[in-house]
Amino acid sequence: MFKLGMKALLRGLAVLAVATGWAAGKEITLLNVSYDPTRELYQDYNSAFARHWLEKTGDKVTIRQSHAGSGKQARSVIDGLDADVVTLALAYDVDALWEKGKLIPQDWQKRLPNNSAPYSSTIVLIVRKGNPKQIKDWDDLTRPGVSVITPNPKTSGGARWNYLAAWGYALKKLGGDEGNARDFVARIFKNVPILDTGARGATTTFVQRGIGDVLIAWENEALLTLKESGQGEFELVAPSLSILAEPPVTWVDKVVNRHGTQAIAQAYLEYLYSPEGQEIGAKHYYRPRLEAIGKKYAATFPTVALFTIDEVFGGWQKAQKTHFNEGGVFDQIQKANR
Amino acid sequence: MRNKRLRLIAALLLGAVVVVQPAALTLRAEDTNTVELIKQLQKRIDDLEQKVIVLESGKGPGGEANDAKAKEHVEALDQKVKILEREKELEQEASEAKAATAPKISIGGDGFNLSSAKGDFAVQLKGVLQVDSRTFFDNPAVVGNDGLLLRRVRPILEGTVFRDFDFLFVPDFAPSSGPTIYDAYLNYRYSPALQFQAGKFKVPFGLEQLQADRDILFNERSLVTDLVPNRDVGFELHGDLFDGRASYAAGVFNGTTDGGNSGNVNFANDEAFAGRLFFQPFKKAPATALRGFGFGLAGTYETTSTTSTAGLPSTTGGTLPGYFTDGQQQFFAYNPTGGAVVVADQERWRISPQAYYYYGPFGLLGEYAISDQAVRRTGAAPFSSAHLENTAWDVSASWVLTGEDATFAGGVIPRHPFNPAQGDWGALQLVGRYAELSIDSAAFPLFSDPTTSARSAAAWSAGLNWYLNRNVMVKLDFSHTAFTGGGGAGTSAPATVTRKPENVLFTRVQLAF
Repeated sequence: MFKLGMKALLRGLAVLAVATGWAAGKEITLLNVSYDPTRELYQDYNSAFARHWLEKTGDKVTIRQSHAGSGKQARSVIDGLDADVVTLALAYDVDALWEKGKLIPQDWQKRLPNNSAPYSSTIVLIVRKGNPKQIKDWDDLTRPGVSVITPNPKTSGGARWNYLAAWGYALKKLGGDEGNARDFVARIFKNVPILDTGARGATTTFVQRGIGDVLIAWENEALLTLKESGQGEFELVAPSLSILAEPPVTWVDKVVNRHGTQAIAQAYLEYLYSPEGQEIGAKHYYRPRLEAIGKKYAATFPTVALFTIDEVFGGWQKAQKTHFNEGGVFDQIQKANR
Repeated sequence: MRNKRLRLIAALLLGAVVVVQPAALTLRAEDTNTVELIKQLQKRIDDLEQKVIVLESGKGPGGEANDAKAKEHVEALDQKVKILEREKELEQEASEAKAATAPKISIGGDGFNLSSAKGDFAVQLKGVLQVDSRTFFDNPAVVGNDGLLLRRVRPILEGTVFRDFDFLFVPDFAPSSGPTIYDAYLNYRYSPALQFQAGKFKVPFGLEQLQADRDILFNERSLVTDLVPNRDVGFELHGDLFDGRASYAAGVFNGTTDGGNSGNVNFANDEAFAGRLFFQPFKKAPATALRGFGFGLAGTYETTSTTSTAGLPSTTGGTLPGYFTDGQQQFFAYNPTGGAVVVADQERWRISPQAYYYYGPFGLLGEYAISDQAVRRTGAAPFSSAHLENTAWDVSASWVLTGEDATFAGGVIPRHPFNPAQGDWGALQLVGRYAELSIDSAAFPLFSDPTTSARSAAAWSAGLNWYLNRNVMVKLDFSHTAFTGGGGAGTSAPATVTRKPENVLFTRVQLAF
């Protein structure tokens, strides 16, 4: 009799919980502040994660996205944009959240596998149909009369990868001479008629506005452009040597602590490493970390010899200081090119 | 032969445009005439293309080479135009981005708002003006209680600094004693669940008292609010939990009397503690009929040691104020006879269960309050002390006749703001209330004169609220209060008040923004 009574009571409580919305789970909102070309990736990934989280916890999560040049996004977060997570183009921009805002711990990169970079990419070239300027490698970008489209390294993480990829190539080809490499990169930028603030803007300039002979782009952006153009309007040119780009992710401790979203923000980023997360990344042309997914999508990615930023530039901090800080090599090149 | 000649002419024309004109058409993005230049270039390209087509009818010697050169020139010009257009586009984007970071100014139903682009810093200027009339019926013994008055004249300055720090300043210029600070506090929002407030503000206790002055249903709050502390100086932790299904507030204050506003300074070494828990368990429920239900419990505890009687009104007879009718007339006072004085004696506690329910145009609000006051009789024998437990309750109901939603906070927002020219008349709300207040029988006769002070009061009220728009409203309500006890000889309150039931008609014109 007592057991029956307890069962009835529990059933009643369960019905009451559903009826009153207590059993409906929480509604949580996260803000993912990301860089320019990840819009499509995170649109898909956010839906997948929301489904996963609902099944796992019963909580409904809505993830808002913000996209712009990586450096610009980092500054916005430091200035108060309430990002629960950041998924930026390069580690230097995430480091700034610690250095300038103390929003994350210094060792943030150790919190997730692969230095907190769940996928990788590289830098390639896109040319117009038939490759009218016969662009085969980085050298061709230095030729007079070749119009090169790349965004501004001051605001775009992708642009910094572009710049460093060209520099690394020049160093290797020209016997490791920094002066020659600088001259090489200066000649490329002399051919740049317009500097967009982000990678997506540069793609718009090249693809939609019809400006330039070659676009230096993220590999994922290039493959997406080829897929979306459909008519074979563009061709991908894989350079003989390029840079291994590792866009990192992390949760923003000061924000998630205030929002009470630390656990879900961490889970959101960890899910990027799961087979489902990796597959979504690969579908959007980001090179996966999981071997099985990598094999499955091997044919998608061109074969390119890659060097790392640590090998050639001694890491992001050093590269930033030498090349992109105020008065750095990039500023000097631009001044000379005017 | 003729064709070749014509193509040569076309090439020369192109060359002339490209080579001769650049000085006149200097293409610089910063040029203020960029758009005009783009148009001119585009027109020249179009003209030249047309000429080439026309000349296609014949080709002269060397035409192939000239064709290629001409095409190259056209393409180069085309690129220049596109680059200029793109630069213009990027400038536009940059100026839009800059505009997004500019401060925002708005003026509307919520007052005057000025905020930084991200909202981290904001200032809002608001205000409440209430112009009332009170007309008493069949109560000639009380002189001078009819009239017009400025009930509240409160400019409100509120805002935010550094995103998480809110402030509020509310003086009132209506009291005849001069401007008074009603609210002045700083609130730090660590999260919705954890906030810290310091300054002068409403004690977290009475439900009706916590409703904003602009939103109350009647001109005056009910008899229950006689037992409820109003504003006090203190510190408070508060917040919302479970997506707003529960809220809490707990604070330490200077302490104030029933219905009282504390002064801005108090060095009496007394502390009052107040706390309130309020639940809206169905706030997120699928069934909308349940969402507007809320209930809670509040309490205060304090010790007082005041014995001074200086400066108090002669009718109160002690440091403790009496209680007042809807018409703001005193019907109970601590006024023992024989020259005795009643003072607060250490402990005072209050407790109040409370609830409301709102569904569509219907609203229901009720609360019960006990105020337990330790009192001491001094100045004349018999010297005595006691705990007096006074109680009150009320229920008020409202119905928006025009169908708009009734709410606890935010009032009624008319669907069709007042505009007679278009046949729009705002919103109408019917309101009713019943309230009772009972004095502990132990108060009589040692602490209060039973021949003048009432032992209890019961009041019913009914009225009509007309919301012309979200900022302007007009009230008309009638209140009837009957008394048990009192009514004896005397020429001042409470005797004059309790002699007959109080019947009073209120009107109010209110501006709140």
